[in-house]
Amino acid sequence: MVNKPSNFAMLEALQTAMRNDPHMTMLYEYQRPVAAGPLGNVIDLYEEFGDLRIPDWGPIDEEWHVGGAAGIAMTGVKAIARVPSMCSTRCFELVFNQVGKLRHMTGGQVNMPLVIWQDAAGRSPGMAGQHADAGQEALYASIPGIKVVVPSNPYDAKGLLTAALEDGDPVIIFHYPAIDGNPTDVPDEAYVVPIGEAAIRQEGTDLTLVGYGPAAVEIQRALPGLAEAGISAEVIDPRTIKPMPIDAIVESVRKTGRLLVVDHGHETLGTAAEIIARVAIAVPGARFARSTFPDAPPPGAREMISWMTPDAPKIVEAARLMVA
Amino acid sequence: MTQDLNDDGFGGDVVETAPRPRVSRRSFLQIAGMGAAATGAVISSARVAMAGNGWTVGLDGVPDERVRWMYRTMLKSRWWEEEMKEAFLAGNDGLYGAFHISIGEEACSTGVMAALNEDDYIASNHRGHSHLIAKGGDLAKMSAELFFKETGYNRGFGGSMHITDVSKGILGMNGIIGPQYLFASGAAYSAKVRGSGQVAVAFGGDGSVNNGWYYSGLRNAALYKLPMIAVVENNGYQMSMPQQRTNSLINLHEFGAGLDIAHEAVNGMDVMAVYAVAKRAVDRARNESLPTLIECKTYRYYDHAGLAGARAGELGAFGLPYRSDAEVRAWMAEDPIPKLRRQMVANALMTEEEADRIEAEVRQEVLDSIEFARSSPAPQPEAGLEHVFAGMSVAPSQFIG
Repeated sequence: MVNKPSNFAMLEALQTAMRNDPHMTMLYEYQRPVAAGPLGNVIDLYEEFGDLRIPDWGPIDEEWHVGGAAGIAMTGVKAIARVPSMCSTRCFELVFNQVGKLRHMTGGQVNMPLVIWQDAAGRSPGMAGQHADAGQEALYASIPGIKVVVPSNPYDAKGLLTAALEDGDPVIIFHYPAIDGNPTDVPDEAYVVPIGEAAIRQEGTDLTLVGYGPAAVEIQRALPGLAEAGISAEVIDPRTIKPMPIDAIVESVRKTGRLLVVDHGHETLGTAAEIIARVAIAVPGARFARSTFPDAPPPGAREMISWMTPDAPKIVEAARLMVA
Repeated sequence: MTQDLNDDGFGGDVVETAPRPRVSRRSFLQIAGMGAAATGAVISSARVAMAGNGWTVGLDGVPDERVRWMYRTMLKSRWWEEEMKEAFLAGNDGLYGAFHISIGEEACSTGVMAALNEDDYIASNHRGHSHLIAKGGDLAKMSAELFFKETGYNRGFGGSMHITDVSKGILGMNGIIGPQYLFASGAAYSAKVRGSGQVAVAFGGDGSVNNGWYYSGLRNAALYKLPMIAVVENNGYQMSMPQQRTNSLINLHEFGAGLDIAHEAVNGMDVMAVYAVAKRAVDRARNESLPTLIECKTYRYYDHAGLAGARAGELGAFGLPYRSDAEVRAWMAEDPIPKLRRQMVANALMTEEEADRIEAEVRQEVLDSIEFARSSPAPQPEAGLEHVFAGMSVAPSQFIG
């Protein structure tokens, strides 16, 4: 096994799925499904599956990619739409009012084997506004009928995408580039990271520290600082936002009595709010806190966006305050 | 003299009925101050029709001062982006963030803006530096925004892709493809509600016509008879994808036929041709409150974003995988700036020495703007909590306690 970039790891998952299903179709805009692996091996899904099952490039028309893929999926053909990061909510209407509702609204008739590979931006300096967003997974998690997963490393990215492609219901997977800052070995063969299963990254007794996606990457970076501060943190990465694997977190907070949730989404009605609400109901009397990106759009200047983003130093400081 | 021209470019309200003797140059400037009093066509309708079919039309009928303004404006845009490119490549300023170069497309923005009034609206896109500069954007504030400084147009919040100057009718560059058509139609609707006589122009690339907002913006401009103009700068590539692979329509302006609106194509490498067609569209919008779809056939000398294939001191990006260098050179041979310069010299609007001097002045103005950016202060980190709502900040929820 070797480290692989998350994009390559996910294309491996896609390659397996498309080999196993002669009709599975992919629609995308400009993220051509071609990548080089660490050993120089190249995956080129366009080359392998051709212009019909993967139209080479696409128009700037995300409604087509998601809506068209949903239409393909309604006919029983597995479909995946890959959507660029600055358009993470462009198709919200389609997902909210169609994709999430159709099975229920039709009394169970409509199967929707649809995966949305949502490339996500993350809090990068210099892009500003529409190109430095994070946290939109919380919006999708609020929609009935949609499963939402957010990997925090390349291993989970491949395994969660495989799980999504095997699921008969619509799944949206948020792929943040920051997760490549958390390199992992990725097996060549197919494997599943089950939807709805949290990962306990580190056991601890003082405090339960929860974060997914880019926040989980920052939590990993905070581990040496936490150790140095003498804080024994239990670190949990839920990996799935919906259905939320809350039991693992509840069990941990029963032990530690403190929950700190780190979220690169916004404060109001973000995923952190949901996690804390569920745990607070189950574990009354525990201490709760969250560190989130403020309720402001992301500014471009590095000075501002860096200060606003929950990162490793802020996580260590917040943990200190909680255990003090 | 050239200094006067620098800030005197607008005044698309001024029209002339026939080619004037050159001695009347001062009278043009006097008329310019009078507003939309005159009527008639700058360029004969036959010549406008030719321009709308891809012909070159030359300087006939266009006031000398307007021609000079166009020359200087294209140079400003060209050198501002070139010098900014040099700063990115040199790497001494720690520049970061988005940077979409519009070099090669200056005739489109300048030709359209030369037909607009100062209080008309434009809604731009990610490749909008040249739109802003032609609409009167302040170079120093633009440079400072690319440096993410407090003195920038957006106070460091936006960067290259989002520069906005509402005071000049610039409704902003935008990082998302499509809203410009809705915004321009909305601004035109507002002009109609207020009876202001303003016109609103949307600029987008050939990739931008591929989504529903383009359709919505245009069809509603047609439905409500709005003074709206859509300018599609067809540079042949949606990012790095050839246009014919994203659209079954090759002549994009023909989309207007289905909406029953005026539509035409123009040589986007010829500022006089763009101006002729834009002038007619602006007159149609202002006088008849009707939309127009203009397709400018043009070319992007650099990559979609960033500086792949670009080298210091060299114009254009070469060696890109999706297009040939010969193709780039063919379009550069059609460069609108030397083309206009040659015409101006040949028509005795300026001498070669004067042309060189204007270019040197423009370059100095650009370099001064970059120096201003360099020496400006960075924003305070806490400023990021401001401007979410008017007059109130949001909580720093990244900290607990």
